[in-house]
Amino acid sequence: MNAPDRFELFVLAEGEKKITEKVVSGMSNCSDFILLKEDHTLGNLLSAYLKMAPHVMMAAYKIGHPNVPEVLLRVQTDGSITPREALVTVCKQLVAMYGQLGREFQKELALRQYADQGEHAGGAGGAPGGGPSGQNGF
Amino acid sequence: MDYDPMVMDDAEALGPVVKISQADSVRVKYELSNSDIAFANSLRRVMLAEIPTIAIDLVEIEENSSVLADEFIAHRLGLIPLNAEGVENLLYARECDCDGCCEHCSVKLMLHAKCTGDENMHVFARDLVPVGERVNQVLGTPVFSDAEGLGPLILKLRPGQEVKLECIAKKGIAKEHAKWAPSAAIGFEYDPHNKLRHIDLWYETDAKAEWPPSEYASWEEPPQEGEPFDYDAVPNRFYFNVESAGSLPPDTIVSEGIKVLQQKLAGLIHELAEGEGDGMNGDYNGPRSPEYGTGADGFGGYTTPFGNGGNQSSWGGAGGTTPYGTTPYGAGQSNWS
Repeated sequence: MNAPDRFELFVLAEGEKKITEKVVSGMSNCSDFILLKEDHTLGNLLSAYLKMAPHVMMAAYKIGHPNVPEVLLRVQTDGSITPREALVTVCKQLVAMYGQLGREFQKELALRQYADQGEHAGGAGGAPGGGPSGQNGF
Repeated sequence: MDYDPMVMDDAEALGPVVKISQADSVRVKYELSNSDIAFANSLRRVMLAEIPTIAIDLVEIEENSSVLADEFIAHRLGLIPLNAEGVENLLYARECDCDGCCEHCSVKLMLHAKCTGDENMHVFARDLVPVGERVNQVLGTPVFSDAEGLGPLILKLRPGQEVKLECIAKKGIAKEHAKWAPSAAIGFEYDPHNKLRHIDLWYETDAKAEWPPSEYASWEEPPQEGEPFDYDAVPNRFYFNVESAGSLPPDTIVSEGIKVLQQKLAGLIHELAEGEGDGMNGDYNGPRSPEYGTGADGFGGYTTPFGNGGNQSSWGGAGGTTPYGTTPYGAGQSNWS
């Protein structure tokens, strides 16, 4: 009856911002980033790569409650860059890395299909499962 | 710089490497190497739960004299895989301007079956027929992966029984309901010899003799006899086995997963850069653009979120507020390449 809509797990409510920065007053060069409607997918990814990034002293994330789709990401830098800059750099790097992964995957897939065609030349071409095969040129 | 620059420079220089060992219409198996567990796991999570597909979400039952309850049938209908090709052109019903649902945000399917013979009748997904306007000719059609082309069995009817119902299929992601999952299963494994000791194998007398070796055991060096444990070792080769449920081909699941993840990250960059003014954004596009350029035209079919106008929203949501919102990416590319 009073259960929240399930899409509230990933759709921002009216006026909510995806990410907000809160400067942590007790620590130098340190900020908390609150990511709304996100989960471990981004939390773990960003904290892991922030830890590897230059000038970042500390990075960690938590999800306060498993039912609440909010990620708190704390980043402390050595002062030569701001935590926000560090986070943006890491995000950009990750976008580029996933982009490269996508290209690598497509390249490999084309090679694989080429090799498979060679192997099964003249054979019973149709793979089992007529449904999805049509869309893909398999 | 008081960190080890090798960690990052290596990743930057080489980046993730993919090796596909099997690819067909139901599954793609690949090895992702020179990578990080967080990187691989985020991709796995996104492929499982956040790729948009289409599934039956509303069922209006006009006649049901079968032995199954209405809600039981409705649940079964929801789980039937529907072809999701071109689902990116479909709107989410909650974002559509229409009242309830329309052809821009849904696909209507009809099912009408009556057992008129004297043998029990089987009703299959084949009997679900899309009606009305659609975004394209295949979106929302039930997927048949059996040899006869019948699709999943929905229910059985005794002589004289009848079902007549109307289904509304909508776009969604598996985070909302598992029926929207494009993947049946995603195999994810690393370290087949358990050198890192991330798993603690149960055994009667000898774990090595009792546990079958992994499919990928021959891909990696087995540990040497008496080899000391390496405390600094981290996993960097991951074996994926992406199995499609039928709505999207397996390789599309991978490339869509990458796209969704890039859009998530791009959304963060966009919001973070907004507060900083245009300086950040400009800084970004300068050095990075060549990579996006190749991303968009490096290979056919696949586009990164930066590829074309359709996906521009992830960057230029604010429209003309940044210099990049006003210039279409396509035009910019010619300068960079």
